[in-house]
Amino acid sequence: MFYYREWIPLGGLKSMVLRSPLYHIQQQLGAKFTEFAGYEMPIQYSSIKDEHLTVRKTVGLFDVSHMSNVWIEGQDAEELLSRTTVEDAARIPDGMSQYTEILREDGTIIDDTIFMHLGDRYMIIPNASMNTLVTNWLTEQAKKYHLKVRVADMSKEYAILAIQGPRSRDTLQSLTDVDLQTVKFFGCREIDIADRKCIISHTGYTGELGFELSITPAPAADTIFTAILKEGKQFGLKPIGLGARDTLRMEKGFMLAGNEFAGGRTPLEATLAWTINWDHDFIGKETLLKLKELGTYQRLTCLKCLDKGIPRHSAEIHHQDAPVGVITSGTVSPCLNTGIALGYVAPDHREKGTVLDIIIRGKPIKAEVVKPPFVPKDWVQHKNDQIFK
Amino acid sequence: MAEDVRDDLKYTKTHEWLRVTGSTALIGITDHAQSELTDIVYVELPEVGKEVVKGDELCVVESVKSVSEIYSPISGTITKVNKALEETPETINSSPYDDGWLVEIKIKNIKEINDLFDANRYRKL
Repeated sequence: MFYYREWIPLGGLKSMVLRSPLYHIQQQLGAKFTEFAGYEMPIQYSSIKDEHLTVRKTVGLFDVSHMSNVWIEGQDAEELLSRTTVEDAARIPDGMSQYTEILREDGTIIDDTIFMHLGDRYMIIPNASMNTLVTNWLTEQAKKYHLKVRVADMSKEYAILAIQGPRSRDTLQSLTDVDLQTVKFFGCREIDIADRKCIISHTGYTGELGFELSITPAPAADTIFTAILKEGKQFGLKPIGLGARDTLRMEKGFMLAGNEFAGGRTPLEATLAWTINWDHDFIGKETLLKLKELGTYQRLTCLKCLDKGIPRHSAEIHHQDAPVGVITSGTVSPCLNTGIALGYVAPDHREKGTVLDIIIRGKPIKAEVVKPPFVPKDWVQHKNDQIFK
Repeated sequence: MAEDVRDDLKYTKTHEWLRVTGSTALIGITDHAQSELTDIVYVELPEVGKEVVKGDELCVVESVKSVSEIYSPISGTITKVNKALEETPETINSSPYDDGWLVEIKIKNIKEINDLFDANRYRKL
C-alpha cells in the first residue's frame, strides 16, 4: 500500500507525495528519485542511456505503481466502457486488453488507458494521478445513463510492475507454471508469479516484447520485484527508471498523456483515429465527426533532427519562419544518437520528408517529418546485422 | 562527497571549476556536477571573442533528461572553446577536469578569483 511520506510545500500549497511500496528496495539499488504526478519514483539507477539500451537488448524491470487501477463491475460494465471510450467493449473478449481513450463531450481526451476484460469485470489503468478524475467521470456517466455498475478506484491497493525487453518472457517463465506463450499479445489473466497472485497483461510502453503485472495487496510486490531481479540476472536484467521509460516510449512515437494531451486534444489530433470504433455511440462522437469533416486540425507528428540539438517540450515549430506547430515531447534517442520529438503540426506541413525548423533557445534546428516509430522493431538485431555485414 | 575534487583548482558553489594560469582560466564542471547530470549528450558552446560578465550564461549542457545552464564564474573574454565536445559531449562525464573542459577565458579582473572556493571549501559543500 502507498503511504503518506510527508506534507511538503509545493507552489505555496500543501501537497502530498506518495511513495511506492518498493521505495526502500529501490533506494538500496542506488536509484535516484524524482517526483512525477505526485509520486516519488526512481528516475534512473545507473544511467538513462544504459537502462534504455538494456531494455532494447535484453530485459528491464520497471516499477510503474504510480499508474492507477480502477475496477468496473456489474451487469452494465461493458456498456459503461463502450459509452465512455472510443472502443466498443463488446468487441473485446474475456481475457483480452484494449488501448483506448476516454473523451469529454467536446471530443478532447480526458485520459488514455488500457482496459482489461477479466471474466465478468473490467480493470482500467488510468495514468498517474488520473484515478479520481476518471473514477468520478465514469460514476457520473453511469448515473446519467442509469447503468447498473460499480466503479471502484483501487489504485492505492495495487502495485504495478512492467517487465520489458526481448528476454522478458524468459525471465518471467521460470517464476510461473503458466505457459506464457499462451498469454497472447494484449492478452490478460490472473496468474501466480513467484507464488503470489497477480494480473498479467501482455502489454507495455517500450515497443519491445513485454508484460505488466498488477499486484494486490501492494506490499506483496516486493517479493515479486526481488524474485524477478534475481531470476533476470542470467539474461542481463536491470531495474529501469522513469527516465528510460520516457525515452523508450518516444522512440516508438507513443504518447504521454501529460505531454501530448495537455490543454485538450482530440484523438484525431493525436493521430489515434485508428483506435476509434465509429460503429458505436460514445461520448464525444458527434464533435469528432464534425472535426473529421473539416480536417483542418493540427496532427501529432514525429520529427527527427538533422542538425545537432535536442528539442524539448513547448519549443515552436516553424516552416520558412512562420509558426506551424509546437513540440510536446523531445529527447535525444539513445539508439539513434540524434534528437527526436513529437509535436502538433498544421496539416499542410506534415508530409513525410518535409523539413521543418524547431526553435531551440532562439535558433532554428532542422528536423525532418518521419513516420513512427523512430526505432523499428528488433532494432538491435538489425543493427547487429549491419555491423556484421 | 565521494567525488573527485582536485586541489589545484578553484570552484563555485554551482559546481564549476577554474584552472587559473597567469591571466587565463580554463573552465569546466566538477565531477559532482557530471555525476548528477549523467549521460551528457549535448553541449552548446559560446563564440570565441565573446565577452562575459561573472554570472552570465556561459554555455548549455544537456543530459538525456535535463537542460543545465553553466554560468561564468568570472568576467572576461572567451579565447578558446572545446570544439571536440560537440562531437563527443560524453567526454565531460569521463574526464570532467581534463579533456572535458568547456572554455578558456582571458580574465578581466584577477581579483574576482578571491571570491571562488578552494578545494577544501568546495569539499565541505
